[in-house]
Amino acid sequence: MATLLNADVVKQIEDAFAPMKESVHILYFGQKDNCDYCPDTQQLLEEVVAISDKLSMEIYDLGADADVAEKFNVDKAPGIVIAGKDGDNVSDFGIRYAGIPSGHEFTSLIQDILLVSGRDSGLSQETRDFLKALTEPVLLQVFVTPT
Amino acid sequence: MVQAEMVEAMEFQALSSKYNVSGVPQTTINDGAANVVGAVPESNMLAELKRIMSK
Repeated sequence: MATLLNADVVKQIEDAFAPMKESVHILYFGQKDNCDYCPDTQQLLEEVVAISDKLSMEIYDLGADADVAEKFNVDKAPGIVIAGKDGDNVSDFGIRYAGIPSGHEFTSLIQDILLVSGRDSGLSQETRDFLKALTEPVLLQVFVTPT
Repeated sequence: MVQAEMVEAMEFQALSSKYNVSGVPQTTINDGAANVVGAVPESNMLAELKRIMSK
């Protein structure tokens, strides 16, 4: 089967991933029916995860693994969770993708992996203070198109 | 407490329609309490969050 990422792109990602210190764990949720982009999304993630030993991935089915999906608040397929991993402990930073991360979103995927590996949001002190003081949940859904 | 989700609009058209997505990126906050269109700076996003959380 042909790869989705060509050798040049893999090399660029390898270079970007080289400085990673902390591990990143990806949870992928697919479904067999009504998910045109599920196979490609799974393959894309597998190819990315293969690039660094700091990355791991677990494949779930939205239906068969409904308990895990609920735990991670995933209700759409293809669904991706980018989490931290410290030993056996998975840390959820609330980062989700719904749909195939293609085009510009592929860059976001790589950057999010680096962000999670760095274990720091990079946000301003003012924003951090605001977020720390939150008493109710916040859901940010960023709608994008694949170009 | 905070979840940030990229949603591919073509694959999830019902959701895109629900929040009247036309220009992207569109950041929909708390199921439509606010909508921010465009790639705005952090300070703009924070201002919007403060605005809706204070209601």
